[in-house]
Amino acid sequence: MSNPDELLRIEGIRKTFPGVVALDGVDFDLRRGEVHVLLGENGAGKSTLIKMLSGAYTPDSGRILVGGQETRVNGAQDSERLGIATIYQEFNLVPDLTVAENIFLGRQPRRLGMIDRKRMEAEAAKLLERVGVRVSPRARVRELGIARLQMVEIAKALSLDARVLIMDEPTAVLTSEEVDKLFAIVRQLRADGVGIVFITHHLDEIAALGDRVTVIRDGKSVGQVPASTPEDELVRLMVGRSIEQQYPRRRPDRGTALLSVEGLTRDGVFHDVSFEVHAGEVVGVAGLVGAGRTEVVRAVFGADPYDEGTVRVGGNALRRSDVNAAMAAGIGLVPEDRKGQGLVLDASVEENLGLVTMRAATRAGLVDRRAQHVAAERIAGQLGVRMAGLGQHVRTLSGGNQQKVVIGKWLLADTKVLILDEPTRGIDVGAKVEIYQLINELTAAGAAVLMISSDLPEVLGMSDRVLVMAQGRIAGELAADEATQDTVMALAVSTPTSDNTAKEATRGH
Amino acid sequence: MATDTLKSTTGASGAPGGLRRLLLDNGALTALIVLVVALSALSGDFLTTDNLLNIGVQAAVTAILAFGVTFVIVAAGIDLSVGSVAALSATVLAWSATQHGVPVALAVVLAVATGVAAGLVNGFLIAYGKLPPFIATLAMLSVGRGLSLVVSGGVPIPFPDSVSHLGDTLGDWLPVPVLVMIVMGLLAAFVLGRTYIGRSMYAIGGNEEAARLSGLRVKKQKLAIYALSGVFAAVAGIVLASRLSSAQPQAADGYELDAIAAVVIGGASLAGGTGKASGTLVGALILAVLRNGLNLLNVSAFWQQVVIGVVIALAVLLDTVRRKAGATPVTGGGGGDKGKQAATYGLAAVVTVAVVGATSFLHNGSSASSNPRMGLSLSTLNNPFFVQIRSGAQAEAKKLGVDLTVTDAQNDASQQANQLQNFTSSSLDAIIVNPVDSDAASNSVKAADKARIPVIAVDRGVNKADVDALVASDNIAGGEQAARTIAEKLGGKGRIVILQGQAGTSAARERAQGFAGGLRAYPGIKVVAQQPADFDRTKGLDVMSNLLQAHPDVQGVIAANDEMALGAIKALGSKAGTSVPVVGFDGTPDGLNAVKAGTLYASVAQQPTQLGRIAVDNALKASQGKKVERTVKVPVKVVTKDNVAGFSG
Repeated sequence: MSNPDELLRIEGIRKTFPGVVALDGVDFDLRRGEVHVLLGENGAGKSTLIKMLSGAYTPDSGRILVGGQETRVNGAQDSERLGIATIYQEFNLVPDLTVAENIFLGRQPRRLGMIDRKRMEAEAAKLLERVGVRVSPRARVRELGIARLQMVEIAKALSLDARVLIMDEPTAVLTSEEVDKLFAIVRQLRADGVGIVFITHHLDEIAALGDRVTVIRDGKSVGQVPASTPEDELVRLMVGRSIEQQYPRRRPDRGTALLSVEGLTRDGVFHDVSFEVHAGEVVGVAGLVGAGRTEVVRAVFGADPYDEGTVRVGGNALRRSDVNAAMAAGIGLVPEDRKGQGLVLDASVEENLGLVTMRAATRAGLVDRRAQHVAAERIAGQLGVRMAGLGQHVRTLSGGNQQKVVIGKWLLADTKVLILDEPTRGIDVGAKVEIYQLINELTAAGAAVLMISSDLPEVLGMSDRVLVMAQGRIAGELAADEATQDTVMALAVSTPTSDNTAKEATRGH
Repeated sequence: MATDTLKSTTGASGAPGGLRRLLLDNGALTALIVLVVALSALSGDFLTTDNLLNIGVQAAVTAILAFGVTFVIVAAGIDLSVGSVAALSATVLAWSATQHGVPVALAVVLAVATGVAAGLVNGFLIAYGKLPPFIATLAMLSVGRGLSLVVSGGVPIPFPDSVSHLGDTLGDWLPVPVLVMIVMGLLAAFVLGRTYIGRSMYAIGGNEEAARLSGLRVKKQKLAIYALSGVFAAVAGIVLASRLSSAQPQAADGYELDAIAAVVIGGASLAGGTGKASGTLVGALILAVLRNGLNLLNVSAFWQQVVIGVVIALAVLLDTVRRKAGATPVTGGGGGDKGKQAATYGLAAVVTVAVVGATSFLHNGSSASSNPRMGLSLSTLNNPFFVQIRSGAQAEAKKLGVDLTVTDAQNDASQQANQLQNFTSSSLDAIIVNPVDSDAASNSVKAADKARIPVIAVDRGVNKADVDALVASDNIAGGEQAARTIAEKLGGKGRIVILQGQAGTSAARERAQGFAGGLRAYPGIKVVAQQPADFDRTKGLDVMSNLLQAHPDVQGVIAANDEMALGAIKALGSKAGTSVPVVGFDGTPDGLNAVKAGTLYASVAQQPTQLGRIAVDNALKASQGKKVERTVKVPVKVVTKDNVAGFSG
C-alpha cells in the first residue's frame, strides 16, 4: 500500500500437499523496475511459490496482493489478466508452429474469422526486435536453438503486456555469451518498468543482475537481503550452515589409463577425438554448447554410433555402438537429460537404482528383488537420498536427489569409468557439494571420472585435467594449474585447425 | 483370483478397513462391485453360483488375451493382432490334429508355436523395422485372420476331443476355462512382478531411452514381450475353440479391442509403465458381468452396446479421477484423503445411477409376470433379414403372451455360446437359436438339452446336438433356384460372377453348394470369378467394382444375399437390370423394392418374418410338451417383377 511502485505482495503463504508442507509462511514482494532474485535449494519451495503466482496452485492460507488489491489467482487466465507471465525451465512452445504463431498462440489476430498472418507476423517482428533476437517470425520453433527459444518465450510474455515476469532458472541451459545477451534484455525490461522474479542457482549472477534477494529454505522465507550481499552469506542463508569449500577436490595419485579414445570420428559431428582418462583422475570437458561434447561421450558409451576410431578400456577395444559392451567393460553414463534419459520417472527409487544391476541379479529369468531392495537401501543411505521411502516415485524427488539416484545406479554396478554429462545442472549448492564428494570417493577408490560441464568454475574446481572442445574437435588440453577461465574460453572459441577444416567449413553451409 | 473377488463381494457387509483401502486404491474393483450389487438388485437370476461361474467362463478368453496385452501395454506398445492370432493358433491345432493326423500333443505345441511366431514377427517389425506398434500389429491382425481362413479353407474344423476337454466342467461345477484363466493370470502376475523380462517391461514402458542407457537390451526384450503376448493369444484361442468344440477361422474377431479395454479399465496406462495382472482380470470381469447382466435383464441388443460403451468410459473415468485426487508425492494419512474418497464415492454413485437407470429404463416387460419366458439368440442384427426374423418372432410372442428376450451374437460364435449359457442358467421355458455356426453351437445346445430346455433352431441347423425342431428355408434348394433363374435369363450361355457370403458360415457354404449344383445343368454358363463379400452391401459394391476391372464383359451376377446384390447393382450402375441381370437371395424389403424397380432381376425370397413366427409357435408347443415336427421347411420362392406385387416377407 505504502509504495505505489509495488506490483505484487505475498504475505504468509502456506501450502500443503498430503504428507508434505511445501510452503509455510512465505513473504515476498516485487516493485516496478527491479530484478528480485528468489534463492533456495531445490525442494525449498521456489517452484511451488511461482506456481501460486501463475495460477497452477492456490494457497491454503495467506494473501496475494496485486497492485495493492487482494486477489485469488485461479488458473492461467487469471494470471494473464493480472499481467503475470511465467517462463518455465521447460518451454511451453509448439515445435511445429512458427515463431509468430507461438507468440500469439490462442490470441492470433483475426480478420473475418481468418487468422491475419500479415498483422501477426508484423507484430511478432516488433516484439522480437524489442528482445533483440534476429529470427524470422516465420521460422519454425523446432529449428531454433535453446537460447532463441527462450527469447521467443520472452517475446510471448511481452506480447501479453506482462508487468510481472517470472523466470525460472533461465540461465541453466545457456552459454556464458548467451547469458550476457539475456542479461542485457532483462536490464532493458527492468528499465521499462517491468518487475522481474528471477530464479537462479548461480550466485555470481545475483550480483550481476539482481536488486534484492529473497532466500527460501524449507518452505519459509528466511531473509531478504540486497543483491550485493557476499556469496558466503547467501550460501549460509540458503543451506542454513556455511559451506567451507565449494569445490572440495582431493587429488589422489594418478593410476594407469583406464579409458583411452583414439581418433574417434563421426562425420559432421566430431572429428579425430583422442584422449585418455586414468584411474583416480577427474577429466573435465569444457566447451560451448554444440561443440560436440555430449555426442562424443555418448559414442564412447556406445549409445550412438561412430564412423572411425577406437575406444579401449583397460587395453581392450570395445565394439562400437554397443551399450552392453561398454557397461561390461565398466563404463557408466549419467546423461545430460536427467529426466528424459536417466530416469524412469514414474517408477520408484528402488526400481531406478536397480536398473543397471537387474541383469546381474537375475537367476533363471527371475529377479532377486530382495537383494535388489537391500542394495538400493544401502546405496540410498550412502548417498543420502532425501525421500519418503524407497517406494517413492522418482518424479517427485528434487533435482539433486534425482541425480543422486542416477549416479547411485552406476555405483551399484561397480563402475570403473563414470561419465558425467552436466552432473550438477539445475542442482542447488548443497547438493552440488554432495555430488563433488561422491566424485572424490569414486576417484579415491581407483575409478576414473570424465565430466562434461558448462559451469566453468565447476570444471576448474573439480578437474585434474581439462579438455576443451570446439567445433567437434579437441581444441586443447590444460593441466589443472594452467586452466583458468581465460585460457579455457580462449580455446573454446578457437577454430581448431587440421587438414580437413576447409571441407568442414563448406559442409556447414 | 476370481474367487477372491467374489469373496470380497460377499464379505462387503463386514466392511473391514483393509477392504475399503483396497477399493479406494483400485477404481476398477469399485466399479465391478458396484455393477455386481446393482445387477443383483435388478435380476434375481444374477447372483447364483451357476451364473457367477458362467461369468467366469465368459470372461476367460478375453482375460487370457488381455493378460498378454498387459505385457505389451506396460511396455508402452499395443497389440491389435491377438484376436486373429488366437483364431490362427486354434485353426492350426485343429487342422494338424483333425485333418492331418498329427498327434494332439504335438498339435498343441504347433499352436503355441504359431502364437510365438506371430508375436516374434510383430516384435521384429517393431524393434528392428521401427514400425509403430499400432501399424505392425494391425498388419498382423489382417495376416493372421487371412492365414486362418487359408489354413481352414474358410470352414470350421472340428476340434480334437482330448483338447476340447478344456471347455468342459470339472466335478460338475468348476469350468476348466475359469481354471485356465486363473492359471494364466497367476502366470502373468508372476512374469510382471518377478521376472527379468517383466521388470524390463515397466522400465521400457516408463522410459525406453533410460532403460537402454542402463544396459537393457530393449530390442531383444521387445521381441520377447510380443512373443509372450502371442503365447497368451494362442492359449486364449485354444480355450475359445474348446468351448465350441470347433476351430472357427472367424473366431475372436474384434476381441483385441475388448482385451485392450480390459487392460485399460484395469488401471494400465496406454502411455506405458503401469499396469497389473489383477487389474486386467477385474477389467475383463467388468466386461463379462456387464454382458451377462444385460442379457439377463433383457435389455435390447442395440441398447446393450450403448450401455457397454458408457460403462467402459465411466470405469476408466472413475480410476482417472481417483488417481488425480491421489496424485500426490507421498502417501500417508492427512486431509487429502477426504477429497479422494469423495471423488471415488461420487463417481461410484454416478456409475450406479447410470447402470440402474439405463437397465431399468431399457427393461423390456416385467420379469414378475407368470408368462412363459423364451430366449432368441440371433447370429446378427446387422442385416435386415435377421431383423425381420426378430420382428416376426416378437409379434408372435406378443400375440401368444410370451416374454421373449432377443440377443444379438454379432456373428461371433463364442458370444452366442455365452448368450445361450445365460438363457440356460436363467431357466427359460424354451430357447430359439439362430446359430452363427452350426458346429460351434452344439456344446451350448447340449447344455440346454441337459437342463431339459427345449431348443428350436431357426434358419440354420445345429450339428451334433439335439434340437426339437429346425425352422428353416432350404438354402441348397434356394441356391439351385437362383442358378436356374440366371441361367434361363441368359439363355443358357454367358459369363457370370458369384458374390459369396462370409467365409466360414453355413449359409455361405450351402448357398454356394446350391449355386454350383444348379449351374451343373447349364454347361454354357461360365463362372469367371467368385469372391466373398461377407453378406455386406458395402463390400458387395467394392468387390463387384474390382471384378468389373478384371471382367468388364460380365453378363450376370449371383449374390448369396440381397445386401451384396444391392451393392453389386450400385457397382454396375446403369448396366444393372438392363444388360446385366443380378439375382439375389433372401427377399428382404430393400431387395424386393429393387425387384420392383427392375434393377434386381430376381431374389430367391425366404420369408424371414414367417421363420420368426413359426419358430416361436414351435417353441411354445415344445415347452408345453406337445409334439413338434423335427423339420419345418418354410418355402422359398423366386420373386421377379412379375410376382413381386403379391409377395410379402
